Amino acid sequence: MGGGKDMKRLQWAMCVPLIFGSIMLGLSGCSSKAIQSGGDSQPAQQGAAKGSDEGGVSQNIPDTSFSGQDGLRGLDKNPSEERVGGNTLTAKADPGSASRQMEEIRAEQAASAAAGLRDVFFAYDSFAISEEGRQVLARNAEWIKSNPGVYVKVEGHCDERGTSAYNLVLGEKRAKAARNYLVELGVAPKQLSIVSYGKERPVCTEHAESCYSQNRRGHVVVKTGK
Amino acid sequence: MTFRTVVITSLCLSVGLAWIIESGATDVFLEATRPDFQKIPLAVAGIDNIGGADSPEGRIRLGNRIEEILKADVRRSLVFSLVDLPGLGIKVGNLGTGPNPEFKKAAEQGVSVIVWGKAGMTNDAKDPDVNMDGYVYDAGSNEMVGGKRYAGSTSVVRLMAHRFADELVFRYTGEPGIARTKIAYVSEQGSARELFVMDYDGHDSRQLTADGFLNLMPRWSPDRRFIVFTAYRNRNTQNIDMIELATGKRWTLVSLSGLNITPALSPDGNFLAFASSHEGNSELYSLDTRTKAMQRLTVHAGGDLSPSWAPSGRELVFASDRSGGPQIFLMSMDGTNVRRLTFEGDYNAAPAWSPRGNWIAYVCRSPKKEYKICLITPDGQKRVQLTAGPGVDDSPSWSPDGRHLVFSSTAGGKSQIYMINADGKDLERITFTGTHNSAPAWSPAS
Repeated sequence: MGGGKDMKRLQWAMCVPLIFGSIMLGLSGCSSKAIQSGGDSQPAQQGAAKGSDEGGVSQNIPDTSFSGQDGLRGLDKNPSEERVGGNTLTAKADPGSASRQMEEIRAEQAASAAAGLRDVFFAYDSFAISEEGRQVLARNAEWIKSNPGVYVKVEGHCDERGTSAYNLVLGEKRAKAARNYLVELGVAPKQLSIVSYGKERPVCTEHAESCYSQNRRGHVVVKTGK
Repeated sequence: MTFRTVVITSLCLSVGLAWIIESGATDVFLEATRPDFQKIPLAVAGIDNIGGADSPEGRIRLGNRIEEILKADVRRSLVFSLVDLPGLGIKVGNLGTGPNPEFKKAAEQGVSVIVWGKAGMTNDAKDPDVNMDGYVYDAGSNEMVGGKRYAGSTSVVRLMAHRFADELVFRYTGEPGIARTKIAYVSEQGSARELFVMDYDGHDSRQLTADGFLNLMPRWSPDRRFIVFTAYRNRNTQNIDMIELATGKRWTLVSLSGLNITPALSPDGNFLAFASSHEGNSELYSLDTRTKAMQRLTVHAGGDLSPSWAPSGRELVFASDRSGGPQIFLMSMDGTNVRRLTFEGDYNAAPAWSPRGNWIAYVCRSPKKEYKICLITPDGQKRVQLTAGPGVDDSPSWSPDGRHLVFSSTAGGKSQIYMINADGKDLERITFTGTHNSAPAWSPAS
């Protein structure tokens, strides 16, 4: 219960992130299955896990209908043995994914720095472009227009205040506001895309306005990947 | 231990009890969800150690370890009040399979239920088995009314205690208990945020995703087999994905352009409500998981998000900034009959409908601009601020018995996950490691 256990958990969390086992959903094996009454006996649909690239709604959704409880069996004056267990498995996570993401982010940052692209900042709870923001975007627009072959992404970010969910909406509004202003300045819409990260990718994690103001931003980056 | 105690103590001091805003609501509301509910006095006489084997983890005797877990479960059940037998002057010696002669004395002092048992490990050095017996004495009949016998590997010791605790709740309330429930959450791994699942008491956390970027806002399927969430498969688009816990298999359910966020499966599992901005601003949609037909639920220039189903499955509560800052709204599951629920304050978001139906939890911004957890009845008649003090509270999620909530808070500095009773008591931090734990989602019971 003390530090030793916490350290162990920390080490586990840091060093073995790809492995998880025994996702215990109660009793496994015949005892619990036997208690499930009727209903769903169809296994989840097998096959492709990915949606189409064009986007939309997947036609391949496993059966999520509720099919009863993994019930308790009640007390017994002469209890028979119940085997308690769980499924043990290893995540089929792509171990290269994290480092590939990092490489791509670094490539984007390098390309954006070389281009001299700058971020636009916002007031608390606001997605209005300030006068200073307009100047920054005007300079960004000149560069984008003179490089018609590049694609630029505006990431909407927020400070830590407010809910995670609503900040995704606010982040999208900020990204859209910056994008729309770039289009107003004559940038071709097809060169621009937006994405909202809400408060999930802060540049700074102090609980202070000096930090919050850096996180409330439209991060303008050269898109290097797809 | 010391650090933990200090953190908890300082939090209790700053957060304290529920701050009742509404003047008429000073009665103790939500006491085990019914005002006339009396907790059942229960004593754990002891779980004896058998076989003499020490547990390989922690060198603590198994019986003592199980007893500690069981007592914590009994306390958190809010169905029982935990009685200390030595505190009543009752000393039981060795516990057998039959009721101890001292139990009757405890019964005379008002103890309704006494549980005891034994636990130990087999001597197989390579693959030891854990055995646990638990028995229940009921004062009403003055006899052992039943028991359980569990066996399993050393990795399921906690689960045995949880399972026995749930059997106790089940016997005395007919409800399945929450000790075997899980909490899905998001944890920072380097600069990425990944999905994890842990036991309801914060133990045994397991990593579910390792994509290396962002996975957000997990929600359970009603049968606990799947988790739906927002996934940034690449850094430029976000989808609503589903993962099967038993296999790790993934599906992308929604990959419309723009935001695809805040998924929530209906109580019967047949509809996925979510927010998407593919038609302009963030709107709510409902996807029939059987026919794959998608229905747009909201039509408004404001942003709509965070749908949460009523336990009946007929209504949804959601957040919308159609009237300025975000506020909480209700509507029927087909998008009709929209009405605003919250009017106090200029920021109310992240609603979660209680599985019992009687309360909706949400994040409210206090007059001091602090983001705290509030509760409101679906008819808007009663409103209560549940947490207070510094820090940003977010993502309230109900236990399936409606007696507890989990939420994330930065009250201790970094974002961590806390549990609190629905009456504002027993604030308890349940994550202790990691730089950022957030977005807890409590599983249904089983």
